[in-house]
Amino acid sequence: MAPLLEAISIGKTYPGGTVANDGVNLSVSAGEVHAVVGENGAGKSTLMKILFGIEQPDRGEIRLDGKVVSFANPREAIDNGIGMVFQHFSLVPSFSVYENVVLGSEPRNGIKFDRREAIEKVRALSEKFRLAVDPLPPVGQLPVGQQQRVEILKALYRDARILILDEPTAVLAPQEVEELFVAVRALVAQGRTVIFIAHKLPEVLEISDRITVMRGGKTVGSVNARDVTEDSLATMMVGREIALRVDRAKTRGDVACEVKALKLTAESGVTIAQDLNLKVHSGEILGLVGVEGNGQAELLEAIAGLRPVADGVIYLNGTSLGPKSVLERREQGLASIPEDRIARGLATGATIAENLIATRLADKRFVRNGLLDLKAMKANALSLIERFSIRSGGPGYAVGTLSGGNMQKVVVARELSEQPKLLLVNQPTRGVDLGATQFIWKSLTDARDGGAAVLLSSADLSELLALSDRLVVFYRGKIVAAFVNSDDLTAETLGTYMLGLSSQDPEAMRAALQ
Amino acid sequence: MSTTSPSRWKTVRSETGRALTALVIALAVALVVILLTSADPGAAFQTLLTAPLSSNRTMGLWIDDVAKLTLTGLAFSLVFQARQFSMGVQGQVYMGGLFAALIAMSPIGATPLAIPVAMLAAMCAGAVYGFIPGYAKARFGASEIVSSLMLNYIAILVVNYLIRAHLAPAGTGQLMTAKFPDTAIFPAILPGTRFDLGIVIALVSALAVWFLLYRTSWGLKLRLVGHNPKFAEYAGIRSSFIMVSAMTVAGAFGGLLGSVFVQGRAFGNLAQNFDGNLAFEGILIAIVARSRPLAVPIVALAYGYLRQGAQLMGIRTDVPTEMISVVQAIIILLVASSFSLPGKKLFARLRGQKSANAATPEAAK
Repeated sequence: MAPLLEAISIGKTYPGGTVANDGVNLSVSAGEVHAVVGENGAGKSTLMKILFGIEQPDRGEIRLDGKVVSFANPREAIDNGIGMVFQHFSLVPSFSVYENVVLGSEPRNGIKFDRREAIEKVRALSEKFRLAVDPLPPVGQLPVGQQQRVEILKALYRDARILILDEPTAVLAPQEVEELFVAVRALVAQGRTVIFIAHKLPEVLEISDRITVMRGGKTVGSVNARDVTEDSLATMMVGREIALRVDRAKTRGDVACEVKALKLTAESGVTIAQDLNLKVHSGEILGLVGVEGNGQAELLEAIAGLRPVADGVIYLNGTSLGPKSVLERREQGLASIPEDRIARGLATGATIAENLIATRLADKRFVRNGLLDLKAMKANALSLIERFSIRSGGPGYAVGTLSGGNMQKVVVARELSEQPKLLLVNQPTRGVDLGATQFIWKSLTDARDGGAAVLLSSADLSELLALSDRLVVFYRGKIVAAFVNSDDLTAETLGTYMLGLSSQDPEAMRAALQ
Repeated sequence: MSTTSPSRWKTVRSETGRALTALVIALAVALVVILLTSADPGAAFQTLLTAPLSSNRTMGLWIDDVAKLTLTGLAFSLVFQARQFSMGVQGQVYMGGLFAALIAMSPIGATPLAIPVAMLAAMCAGAVYGFIPGYAKARFGASEIVSSLMLNYIAILVVNYLIRAHLAPAGTGQLMTAKFPDTAIFPAILPGTRFDLGIVIALVSALAVWFLLYRTSWGLKLRLVGHNPKFAEYAGIRSSFIMVSAMTVAGAFGGLLGSVFVQGRAFGNLAQNFDGNLAFEGILIAIVARSRPLAVPIVALAYGYLRQGAQLMGIRTDVPTEMISVVQAIIILLVASSFSLPGKKLFARLRGQKSANAATPEAAK
């Protein structure tokens, strides 16, 4: 069968001189799920932007149904039956679901917007493609997974035959990923074609029929999903064998941080978490397992001093952290890698050098008599850029000019430039490519081996299982299970506790909590 | 370091290009307005563009405006960099002017200490007046936009009342105080013009604000709070302290502008409504200068020239001075909306390089 959509030796160089695509080939057949994988900076997003008409290629051609086409803008791509869902949604939060879906091509009744028809059409579409979402509530009130469905419905409403999903799973919880996959299968079953950009290889192998691998702006090759394994795919992506395995802690030291009978409430007074008791020893990684929103992130915020404690005590090396400010906690050896690097971990408009010292503005090395030591700041930045191999133009560049993985490395470099005593980590590798993931994992285990007690929260169970020495499971703001990590412990076992389906014997839990 | 990095230079170049393009477009629209309204459009437009250079006196007027625009631009830049939207410069100018006048009319006014002491008093008064909306925001969550605007009216009305009821020479019915002693008025740099100490104060202030923002840890904290308040909190920076102190320091510069107003050769006394709404034009200066203190005097130089040209056009021709509001509005619109030139892509394509879409250089993922 002739391919539906073909990109032939596409080349694209950005004005800054970045070669984003250099002889890229992609061939997508009708009715398949075609994954495009590659590290950050491999050129996936650029290729998709070219297919969707946002960028124009410098070289090469695009064929649709065998005919050469060129799209000057997304409108033309949409008219040709191509739809795209971006990682960052373009929805109007205050508009209802159906208004968002039909926005720009509203059904009309004379000159009036025919709301009834719009609602019916959206309802029909969502049933047909198993994208369950209520057309009436405002989009801003929906969880991320549902917002994504609205985006997909938007494309389908405009009769997209080919749907491009740009890293759709990056923002989703595991259950939502499953639901997305159900919808993707329904789409394909009804003759639509899906192009799926992704990082996480298990997901790619699960959902796609064919996989095109990109590296450094070139296509490495296309393979059938059933012919490859996670390891061989990873090797293709990175160009070398990579081992996503880490060594467990050899020894563990004394208790570094202890949480006793902690209770956390939201501003509205609603209880977020209660009866939290746990201990972390120096030299070990304690994994916090749970579906997002069950209290893990809030616990980390409370320890960091960013959230008030309703009841209970947090000890660091024997002293209570209760009355201490964020800065005093940091001076005691606390470091923290926050969940969202752009929202909380960095000032993207400030330079790399400034970001790297932002948490150490009381340090005599960088600030004396209230004056900045620019030379020391620059030297510090240069040495950390080197040590953490941050790819950047230099210390004077704004952090916002870096790629996601390199931004995360800036956060990691700042927090780990000095050996911490207690390290709080939340989603360290979300949206980060394999090479950087490997590097960040190594940095975390190095910090652990240097004597840090690490609290790690992640939506990625394989990450938790790979890194943690012990794990505790959160469900509805309580710790419901605790495990000492071993090869026998599986994601499925953890999953049953995460969803509250099984409960653990109190004795076993107490033993693993020590 | 920060001023020499290549990315910084690129930003400077593109921002300058953007501002200049905005200026040219605004002038083109101004020309159209003049063509439509004036009996002798040629003369009016020529006056607008060349009049400030026509004599030493007019150049003095221009430089006097530049000094004042620079100071108000600096005050706004400081609060904008901390992402606070305090609009209180006008109130600070009145309070600063009042206290400078009180010193100038006191026995100190006749001594050589008059100028420094009056300036200091003005800065303190402005600082206190800048502190109030900052504290109200930090302590009670009051919107600084509203409270600072309201404080402006209070300051103007209080100062106007004090002049009318107490400070004007008794029985004259004048709406201004008597001239200050010569020792309390800024010396002229060019005799017989308004080219006085004010411009020196403005330039030194620009350097001072730059130093505060880019060379001190307070400045770095201020900018980090402005870039991302949640990050500042996470990094252990006390953002409410930074917020209040930024508004207070900006207030000091607003107060200093009050002293430059009343002690400058333009006035030399305290008059009702003396600022002529110039304080608010600092918003335009700060926006065009992207709140960069070293760019503020340069923008003030160019805008002050246009402003003076428009004043003279209003006096010498049949086009009213208010025409400058058109230019001002268009510049703000263009610069604040970060416009990209219409037809830029077309030009690029004509030159053979397809799609020079400079708006998405970070898209190379």
